[in-house]
Amino acid sequence: MRSYLALELRRSLRDRRYLLLVVGWPVAAYLLFSTVFGSAADRAEGLPPAIGIMVAMAAFGAMGGVLMASGPRLAIDRQIGWLRQLSLTPMSPARILAVRLISAMALSLPAIVLTFITAAVVKNVTLPLWEWPVLALLISAGCLPFAAMGIVVGSVADGDGAQGLTMVLYLVLAALGGLWMPVQILPSAMQTIAKTLPSYHLAQLGWYVARGAAPAIGDGLILLAWFAGAALVAVAVSRRLTLRTA
Amino acid sequence: MTHHTSDSTADASRSGAPGLLVSDGDGSCAVRVDGVTRRFGAVLAVDNLSLTVRSGETLALLGPNGAGKTTTISMLLGLSAPDAGTIEVFGAAPGSAAAHAGVGAMLQDGGMMPGVRVGELLAMVRSLYSAPLPLDEAIDIAQLGGLEKRRVDRLSGGQSQRLRLAMALVGDPKLLILDEPTAAMDVETRRSFWHAMEGFTARGRTILFSTHYLEEADVAADRIVMMARGRLVADGTPAAIKDSVGLRVIRFSVVQPGVAGLEALPGVVSANAHGNRVELRCRDTDIALRALLAARADAHDIEVAGIGLEDAFITITDGIAA
Repeated sequence: MRSYLALELRRSLRDRRYLLLVVGWPVAAYLLFSTVFGSAADRAEGLPPAIGIMVAMAAFGAMGGVLMASGPRLAIDRQIGWLRQLSLTPMSPARILAVRLISAMALSLPAIVLTFITAAVVKNVTLPLWEWPVLALLISAGCLPFAAMGIVVGSVADGDGAQGLTMVLYLVLAALGGLWMPVQILPSAMQTIAKTLPSYHLAQLGWYVARGAAPAIGDGLILLAWFAGAALVAVAVSRRLTLRTA
Repeated sequence: MTHHTSDSTADASRSGAPGLLVSDGDGSCAVRVDGVTRRFGAVLAVDNLSLTVRSGETLALLGPNGAGKTTTISMLLGLSAPDAGTIEVFGAAPGSAAAHAGVGAMLQDGGMMPGVRVGELLAMVRSLYSAPLPLDEAIDIAQLGGLEKRRVDRLSGGQSQRLRLAMALVGDPKLLILDEPTAAMDVETRRSFWHAMEGFTARGRTILFSTHYLEEADVAADRIVMMARGRLVADGTPAAIKDSVGLRVIRFSVVQPGVAGLEALPGVVSANAHGNRVELRCRDTDIALRALLAARADAHDIEVAGIGLEDAFITITDGIAA
């Protein structure tokens, strides 16, 4: 199981197009937004823009890394029959799924780390030393619902469909969840929707820590609820992963 | 004429562990299929199939497309479940952890992990088994030497197929199941594939493979199970299969072309000609030969032979289709 996990990670880190997208996009967006809005006073979340946007873009990149490492890849592996081949080995289906979940979760980290480094080096962001790892691990752990969602997408959609579905899910969650702009500028109906989304609560978790406060329990519970819901659906539909395509 | 029957074949292969009730595969029984039926909608893919595969056998599942070979193999591997009947693999349910530990499989549509190298993939698959082959040995048997650093998505068709074989046998399974392993291979590649397999059969392992190449079943297997339309239609050694059809042929040359009247000769089932060469399929070649010599004075270069496996196959499956 560990050797399969290692190989899955190696495969991801070799995929340059994937890395460029999940790391390049949030870093570029961070540089753009933090420069354009950098002169503004504190944002709605009570942080200087360079920090508030850093947390938002780290969450954005982490979510993308996880979503894109799970759904589309799983769909392809299912389509080409690799998952079926793998299911004939002594590794149990539960372990195969666990590896896919963990490897997807691990791919939240590159975007987080690179966004932080960019913020620290280019925008001179400083935080108490302990906050950096806590913030990184918290954002990473908060991506659990997205990893489970990816398994659902990879189980039900085919290669191209999964790619498209993932991208739509990614952009909708990012935009409505307030990662690109504060939800306060949205109409009130959409604000209500935003506050139900896992992406919104992921950013909230990060902003609490960046303010030096303890994260609210409520945000964590909502993320857990999303994970539980998505995981239930994932377990139900993942039986499709090893079925014959013909 | 030596007389083969499926009974004598079965006795020969049962001799491994007489009277032993074994379920772990080191004894007599690797696979037991009992009254298995599988439907896809209105189509009966496998129809009341019963079959026992003994340890150490190399068994060919032979049949045309749509005979139910792949469906049977998916059920043996636990990838699909029978609608009726039972299957045991080493005494365990197909698809159970116990079955997976003892079975290596090469699927027709089995994919390989994208983006990794041949050596990496094999080492990973190997690590999933408790008593695998040495990596070098698996690479040797599958003739993948020199390709370890190649990305799996950059392999040719034949190389991919050899990698599938290596993945199937790197765990040193007691039973190797290969679904049309040589489909899409040219004659030369197919020969080198079976040459490679000899290294594995020599270890006393059980092999079950499906094919629609008759020569291949004849050469590579010591037992042939013939399927048509989901049913088992013949079971025995290649020689027994040919005999079970009960037909032999008389071939001869004629001066005047034409087969008129030949089909009516006693003992003859059918007659056809290629130019001046005539072939009679006969129920009884002794009677037919006497009648032929009396009827056609121009018959010469006469030879009497057993029916080829291909002809046996056509005769048997025609009987099912009729």
